[in-house]
Amino acid sequence: MASHADPTPTDETAVELAEAEPLPHTVTVSRREYGLAVAIVGIATLVALLLRPYLAATNLAMVYLLGVVAVATRCSRSASVMASFLSVAAFDFFCVPPYLTFQVSEYEYLITFAGMLAVALVISAQTSRIRAQAASAVDRESRTKALYRLSRRLAAQTRVFDAALAAAEVAEQVFGSHVTIFLPEDGRISFRKRTSNQLLIATAEEEIAQAVFDHGRKAGRGMERFPDAAATYVPLKGVSRIVGVMAILPSPQGETLKTDQQHLLDLFANQTALAIERNLSQNAADDARMQMETEEMRSSLLSAVSHDLRTPLASITGAATTLRSQSDKLAPQVRDELLESISEEALRLSRLVGNLLDMTRLESGVELRRDLYPLEEIVGSALQRLEPQLAGRDMLVSLPEDLPLVNADDVLLGQVLVNLIENATKYSPPASAIEIAAQAVAGAVQLEVRDRGPGFAPGEEKRLFEKFYRGQSEGVRGAGLGLAICRAIVVAHRGSIEALHRPGGGAIFRIRLPLEVLSKVDARI
Amino acid sequence: MKPLILVIEDDPQIRRFLRATLAAEEYQFHEAVTATEGIAQAAARQPDLVLLDLGLPDRDGLDIIREVRSWSQMPIVVLSARGQEKDKIAALDLGADDYVAKPFAVGELLARIRAALRRAAPLAQDGADPVIRFGNVEADFEKRLITVGGQEVHLTPNEYKLLQVLIKHAGRVVTQRQLLNEVWGPHHTEQSQYLRVYVAQLRRKLEQDPARPRYLQTEPGVGYRLSFDPQS
Repeated sequence: MASHADPTPTDETAVELAEAEPLPHTVTVSRREYGLAVAIVGIATLVALLLRPYLAATNLAMVYLLGVVAVATRCSRSASVMASFLSVAAFDFFCVPPYLTFQVSEYEYLITFAGMLAVALVISAQTSRIRAQAASAVDRESRTKALYRLSRRLAAQTRVFDAALAAAEVAEQVFGSHVTIFLPEDGRISFRKRTSNQLLIATAEEEIAQAVFDHGRKAGRGMERFPDAAATYVPLKGVSRIVGVMAILPSPQGETLKTDQQHLLDLFANQTALAIERNLSQNAADDARMQMETEEMRSSLLSAVSHDLRTPLASITGAATTLRSQSDKLAPQVRDELLESISEEALRLSRLVGNLLDMTRLESGVELRRDLYPLEEIVGSALQRLEPQLAGRDMLVSLPEDLPLVNADDVLLGQVLVNLIENATKYSPPASAIEIAAQAVAGAVQLEVRDRGPGFAPGEEKRLFEKFYRGQSEGVRGAGLGLAICRAIVVAHRGSIEALHRPGGGAIFRIRLPLEVLSKVDARI
Repeated sequence: MKPLILVIEDDPQIRRFLRATLAAEEYQFHEAVTATEGIAQAAARQPDLVLLDLGLPDRDGLDIIREVRSWSQMPIVVLSARGQEKDKIAALDLGADDYVAKPFAVGELLARIRAALRRAAPLAQDGADPVIRFGNVEADFEKRLITVGGQEVHLTPNEYKLLQVLIKHAGRVVTQRQLLNEVWGPHHTEQSQYLRVYVAQLRRKLEQDPARPRYLQTEPGVGYRLSFDPQS
């Protein structure tokens, strides 16, 4: 990569710099320039010597002035000033009789010398001023180009981290060294929120980055504060606050930024900061909207849940108080019915509360306790749990014996099955069978729960798995959480769940769980 | 004398309903509301069984198990909430005999209590009949003969040992770790997938429908239970 401080760029680096739209390098005085100046004065002398027999000495001075112009257009001002003096001396030595001495035969030559020197110096001064202007115009142009590129890239980003990534990328190209942008997390510079891992941050560097973030002043390599640091740290100052820190490593040659590059870096930091700040406030607006939607959802949840909680509570309270106050007047059969409804409604309530707790637990990120299980066992314990509800129901279970073990959390996957089977019993006529079937498919185990209920409306396939969404079926109560829980659990297992229309009527819920290595276990230990 | 049951539970409603249930079964009944009181009562009254709620106000229920186990082997049945498999395993590892998840049906609770009391008084069965029967399965450990519906079933040595351990704990939950330890030895207690494969094989040999086992039941996240009640 091109370096930002290489004093004598080779052609190769120049090409790369051009590609990356780099900064022009300020011309530094070097031995090569003085050498060139001496060489040009030498050439002028040779030409003067060849012309000497034909021209008057004063006219030979023109040849030298031409040489000074040549030097001034190529080299620094000091080199051309040197060339001016050298030319006068060479003119005196070679062109003014007596030759090969600095002695002067006629004093009017002194005027020639003075005039020649004055003209040469003026040429030097003017030419280098023009050159400097041209250079700064090029400089300005490439700086503008770099900033334009940056702003174009930043404008395309809507997220804070993406903006930081884009800025770091453009800065790396422009400055030719590694750039990393650190973003804060809870008011502290976070080494987890950074655009690259190129800066291996030692604790001391962390503190410098934090100090830059806290105080908003540059520090690190090449700066007054912490000059021994590995990188230079520039605060990303937005309008109202500091939004991050940009760190730039020295070039591979170990050179730090020069003054004009530092100015550009400041401009970069400023523009990046503004973009990040803009995205931050945009994201904050999005969050606020999300918050509002969440609030809305919460209140719809509250109304759904409070209804579902109150209904069974009302029947329990009603039945219980009836039994207490009118016990003597009730026929034994009626008493049995009331008792039955108390225990049924209590179970319903318990399931609802269980679902709400499960959903909350899943949403707060539950840790899976995975191990290898025969699917048969998970299906078996789900059916065992549902024993009371399934009494008298036809269950057709078909699980091939050679099914691979699944890597799952048995409790949670069992919950998925319980919810799916429970749904099937709720939505399908009691006389119809419920089928559970599994098979190995490419790289996965596929498990289906099929019923002969009314199915679901076309277009509902996806919505079924949304929280608090209830199917169109009438007379079935529930908070609409069962399938949302199923989806959350299956997704946590990196699997998929979908609802399908069953040919001949009914619904199929299909789960696919990816197989992982170690799925076959040698049973002989 | 009817067995004396000590109930350590802070909720008055649950105590009330337990009192009614246990009285109906003619158990003697004693109550403690806090952990401290519970430990004191357990020491003073030497109950035949402790029914322990894990969520007590003053101390962790697990502490009580630890403390009681330091001086007594009296059966302890834990009342826990569903979804707290970790707590259940911890309680069982500390020496609790079994657990019932709230909310529970009375029948389940009484079955657990009977199974736990049986563990404490195994003499009643010893020598009476070496043949154990559940469903159409007969296990004769004297002759090492297992039959299903009168047909001899061949079990591998490990399957046989597994069945033996489950029958020894009949009606009570056995944790995976405990099963692995008793069947394969203390060095295999982490390889629970082997255990599951063996249980699956055993189910195929003994159960009519291995996907809907009646006897070899799974306690998800905890272990297995051979579900039959020789006394009922």
